[in-house]
Amino acid sequence: MIQVDDKPVTWHQGMTIADLLEQMEGVGFCSVVRLNGKLVSSPRFHETPIPDGSIIRLLPLVAGG
Amino acid sequence: MGHMQLKEIAATTYERADVNKGYTDQSLHINLDKADIGITPIDTAIKEKFIGGKGYDLWYMWNAVKGTTKWDDPENAVCISAGPLGGTPGYPGGGKSIVTAISPLTGAPIDSNVGGYFGPYKKFSGFDVITLTGKADQDTVILIDGIESNIKIFTASDLPDNSYEMSDALTRYFDAEKPVNVSVVTAGPGAENTYFGCLNFSWYDAGRKRVRYKQAGRGGIGTVFADKKIKAVVARFGAISMKTNNPADLEALKTVTKTHAKEIHELDPKQNRMALVGTTHLVPIMNDHDCLPTHNFKFGSHPGAAVIGEDVYEHIFDKGFDGCWRGCAVACSHGVKDFSPFTGPFKGTKVFVDGPEYETVAGCGSNLGIFDAHTILEINFYCDAYGLDTISVGTSIGFVMECFENKLITTDHTDGMDLSFGNRYNTLELIHQMARGEGFGAIVGKGIRQMKQIFAEKFNADAAFMQDIGMESKGLEFSEYITKESLAQQGGYGLALKGPQHDEAWLIFLDMVHNFMPTFENKAEALHWFPMFRTWFGLCGLCKLPWNDIVPEDNKQTEEPAKVKKHIQWYADFFSAITGKKTTPDDLIAMSEAVYNFQRVFNLKMGYGTREHDTLPYRAMGPVTAEEYESRQERYDKQLIEKYGMNISDMDTDTKVAALRKEREAQYEQLKGAVYERRGWTQNGIPTKETVKRLGIDFPEVLEVLEKNGVK
Repeated sequence: MIQVDDKPVTWHQGMTIADLLEQMEGVGFCSVVRLNGKLVSSPRFHETPIPDGSIIRLLPLVAGG
Repeated sequence: MGHMQLKEIAATTYERADVNKGYTDQSLHINLDKADIGITPIDTAIKEKFIGGKGYDLWYMWNAVKGTTKWDDPENAVCISAGPLGGTPGYPGGGKSIVTAISPLTGAPIDSNVGGYFGPYKKFSGFDVITLTGKADQDTVILIDGIESNIKIFTASDLPDNSYEMSDALTRYFDAEKPVNVSVVTAGPGAENTYFGCLNFSWYDAGRKRVRYKQAGRGGIGTVFADKKIKAVVARFGAISMKTNNPADLEALKTVTKTHAKEIHELDPKQNRMALVGTTHLVPIMNDHDCLPTHNFKFGSHPGAAVIGEDVYEHIFDKGFDGCWRGCAVACSHGVKDFSPFTGPFKGTKVFVDGPEYETVAGCGSNLGIFDAHTILEINFYCDAYGLDTISVGTSIGFVMECFENKLITTDHTDGMDLSFGNRYNTLELIHQMARGEGFGAIVGKGIRQMKQIFAEKFNADAAFMQDIGMESKGLEFSEYITKESLAQQGGYGLALKGPQHDEAWLIFLDMVHNFMPTFENKAEALHWFPMFRTWFGLCGLCKLPWNDIVPEDNKQTEEPAKVKKHIQWYADFFSAITGKKTTPDDLIAMSEAVYNFQRVFNLKMGYGTREHDTLPYRAMGPVTAEEYESRQERYDKQLIEKYGMNISDMDTDTKVAALRKEREAQYEQLKGAVYERRGWTQNGIPTKETVKRLGIDFPEVLEVLEKNGVK
């Protein structure tokens, strides 16, 4: 199990951030997440595995400076 | 350095105007030629049309200067205003000042939005706007004392020559018992000796018992300030509460303030964590999306970026409350204590560094090939202390380094300095030279536009290549985002009234990452709406960060998440509560649109403001060199084949670079046309008569400027 924005989500072996977002609705805005406190951006979603027990936050639209 | 001496040469007492619904309706004019102090009421019609903040600044500046006025003419006016909402304690981002002048870099109006307490203190002392004209013949300090209700002009001697010490000395001089009552605006030696001098706006950090400052950085307003021989303008005021703005509806003000602040307190820790890391979270995000300027905007990412982002600065920043305005929940103004510079006049001492923010990290770090958090801190410290804009410094030195690596300039021109990318020590030496106005640094301090001319004329450098890689537009150096893959943000920079600063529009992710605006019309609509809404913050004395850097949790389910409409409604409520005018979100856009178009006409008055001035160096649009192209060859090849239908099998890299360039330059021109049309401008980029009439800015002098430029 992992926590995504304070809600439990079922985890599976080999799950990446891209896999997670594909199974969620209304996340088209999401280009950056915090995975256990570390920023991960969309170009790395497919290559970034999610460890079991992770805490993930979906960051809002990047708004610049 | 002897003991600081201030000698009073002019003074006046005044009856302090009460603030009523966010306004004092009074303006203060100081002419340095004669040490003349004037106070005049602000006309109601001007208040209705220009709102405050940047609107007031532009109106007073318009009336101070002629179309032929140059930046160093005495009539050039430095104007400062805080806007009707500015000075609301506790409202996130509620204490900004907006500063304007005719820029030494662009020759046109420049505006800069800055924190610190000066703007609110000045307003509560009785003045919605101040204008500073003329030139003193000796170093001058101006005091606006809202506690004693007097204004004094002093000649000054033996002041510290840097902003870091001068802000502290003057704060303690004018209120040793309660330094929190004082805010000081200072420039520094860098402002005297370059064209991109900034202004430092201070506040007293009672927790740390030290003076802090934020910068009105862009466009050389500090240079104008220094040219007038103003060393400092000081505002002094006492206790402030939500009642100080005398809002029309105090309860409504309390409600909207509490609502917005509460949301930020709850959500910032879950989102960008700006209260911990400021804007340094943007470094890894921009790097991962290939948007972090690296080696003079040649590339958008670098492995070294990992050590100059939030992961590092979170641990270096001094812990404590870091709002640049009282009670601001965003609290992003972080700093580093006990930093020991390894060069320059503060070498070996311990100083407090205010920063860095993202722009400084990117401009003075990755863009120079400097991937060292401590060197960036030292550059940040000296730029502030000297009064230099870190954005123009970083972008200018990046240009110099690329010229050096391409042998357009050599050690014969640089006083023997190796200015290859990554040279930390010589970067700092260059900054020290800029501040002293000496050596090669004196040339760099003139900015990229003038450097291009000097390098071509004196060093026989390739003018066409420098035009392509010199990251300036309208004479202003670019702020720190790579725009090659975002046509909308190319427009955000190229069509910005003052030059390529991102505060008008930041559309990179909406465009490049999410493809939310696929057509020219979509992009044009964004390049209308976003600059208009962002302008509103400058009219009212607010920071834009609380609008869209921390957003409601349900924002993603709204129709247009990029606009964060819940917050726009709160801003309308905020405006209504202070001013008593029932205001809708659409009203905010209408307020901005009038001022925005007025600024465009102001550019025209000064000899700019037409299509030919909305140009970009090609590096902002695409790869200039074969090296750049080949570094992202898969991306560019794919575009030539799929987007432009080309057969590239027989093309070498140079041919591909040229083919891509032709397409991208054409699409930028097409975008300009679409944006002009959306904004109600001619295809030469000039507001039509119908537009200025619709916006109620069809003053005779505005129509005269339009007619002189062929708009009948």
